[in-house]
Amino acid sequence: MILDPELELHPQKLIAKQKKIADKFNLYKAIFLDIFFVFYAVLVIQRAIYYKFILNLSDIPFSWNEILYLFIGSAIIGTLWALSKTSLSCRLLGIAKDNKTTKWTVEIFGWTLFNITFIAGWIITKISIVGLFSSEGIAGAERLFGAMFTPQFRIFDDALFAMIETIYIALIATLISIPPTLILSFFTARNLMKDNKISFAVYYVLRIILNFIRSIEPLIWAIIFSVWVGIGPFAGMIALLVHTIASNAKLYSEAIEGIEQGPVEAISATGANKIQVVWHGVVPQIVLPFLSFTIYRWDINVRMATIIGLVGGGGIGTMLMQYQGLAKWREVGLIIIMIAFVVWIMDYVSAKIREAIY
Amino acid sequence: MLLQIQNLHKIYNNGTHALKGISFDIKEGEFLVVIGLSGSGKSTLLRCINRLIEPTSGSVKFLDRDITHIKGEELRKIKAQIGMVFQQFNLIKRRSVLSNVLNGKLGSLSTFDTILEKYSDEVYKEAYKCLETVGISEKAKVRADSLSGGQQQRVAIARSLMQSPKLLLADEPVASLDPATSNSVMQYFEKVNKEFGTTVICNLHFLSLVRRYATRVIALKAGEIIYQGAPSDINEAWFRTIYGEEAEEVEIR
Repeated sequence: MILDPELELHPQKLIAKQKKIADKFNLYKAIFLDIFFVFYAVLVIQRAIYYKFILNLSDIPFSWNEILYLFIGSAIIGTLWALSKTSLSCRLLGIAKDNKTTKWTVEIFGWTLFNITFIAGWIITKISIVGLFSSEGIAGAERLFGAMFTPQFRIFDDALFAMIETIYIALIATLISIPPTLILSFFTARNLMKDNKISFAVYYVLRIILNFIRSIEPLIWAIIFSVWVGIGPFAGMIALLVHTIASNAKLYSEAIEGIEQGPVEAISATGANKIQVVWHGVVPQIVLPFLSFTIYRWDINVRMATIIGLVGGGGIGTMLMQYQGLAKWREVGLIIIMIAFVVWIMDYVSAKIREAIY
Repeated sequence: MLLQIQNLHKIYNNGTHALKGISFDIKEGEFLVVIGLSGSGKSTLLRCINRLIEPTSGSVKFLDRDITHIKGEELRKIKAQIGMVFQQFNLIKRRSVLSNVLNGKLGSLSTFDTILEKYSDEVYKEAYKCLETVGISEKAKVRADSLSGGQQQRVAIARSLMQSPKLLLADEPVASLDPATSNSVMQYFEKVNKEFGTTVICNLHFLSLVRRYATRVIALKAGEIIYQGAPSDINEAWFRTIYGEEAEEVEIR
């Protein structure tokens, strides 16, 4: 291996060169970001604040042409802004020249953006203090809370069975998730996969798939599976299983990425092969975090299983949905109390177990 | 010649030029100590020898064989003959002392047997013998992280002895220990060097330890060798060249 003689003498030159390229790239990023900021601010001011609040229109006019003009306008302003000394993005990406003007303008524009967002958010969520304290509303709330304090115990045995079903849905989903999650977590840990190109490609593809699965909430998985396998506990269990695998694989693989590198280095220095390094250097460091995550996940899954029941995933949630539809508030009260009680116990037990194993 | 290093360079991806043309030889049975400030390239040098770090250019010859570019199985065979001890001990904390020592044998046993932890009686005997060498065999069943720093470092030495190494690398083995413990740990390195004839390359900070244990010293400064010779020849002037003008020698006993 022969070294570039130029580089050998002046490695600093190489660094300076790389920094120049990075700065140029950052300037492009800054232009895009500034265009986005301007476009965002213009849209929010026009649609939420001007149409909705000032003109108080219920039907907001919409045309793609109008938005296109706004975008072209924002693009021009954004580009000019990024090239000036006052740019917010240049500051964020660390390529702004530090002086007093930059400091001031960044603060002003930052605050303006934040305030516009907050005001628009207030208008869009239709925050209404009157609605919260109207006499009609308070009477309804009183009826509900009153029912909860006088629960109907006639359905206790049914509710108990539904509750047990929920706990088992969560337990089975968690247990079945363990083997696939374990295998996936090793393939999605960057520090184990980055060494060659093929394994890195596998890592990357798996990461994308898991991120996609995780970004869909278990509630939506339950809707999908209740159509697929029919309404009932099985649909709920699969929905939880899918989401548990995706999110625990992420947690597990992060635990693998966060292990101490020293022992791993020491074991590979003894001439051990890759499998031995993983088994004797990585695995002993992650067994307890894995166990802890899994127990915590069971706890989360019990809570999620009650929610999943609302869309046909079986268990106590489905029962709650039925009584709520019939407006039988005293029965609903009993179910809510039971859910709260079980969730509280699960929370306590899982915390105690996790404390004990660490 | 056990180890010959020629014109070794290492440039890290961030542009740091850590080693700038290091060349030296080491004969069997030597106790070579490498000194120099933090960041002078001592750790990089050791890690380039057993290829935990890939050198950028130059060559490393181990037992008259060029090992600079070997890979896979061949490299693992070489690694198995070179023991290494680290500043942070690098034991598996939750496992017993014995299984940590057994890890030293991984390179020469079959993958399947080591995963099932099926070790033969000889291997166990060897592990206990290594623990006796560092005087800690009564702690074999104890969890590694319940030991004190000095004891953990002795376990790490025992682990590297399991490799029956031709060469033992020690990367600042006493830098996180107190002075008294430092001395006792260094005595075990001396014992290994004298009794088994194992060649030792050791990074150290304290000159008093260097004078006591080294048979030869190399001093690094900014990635280059600036001194090579007997430990007793490091006088005040050399000391200031190696460690800078403001440095003052501290004595540890």
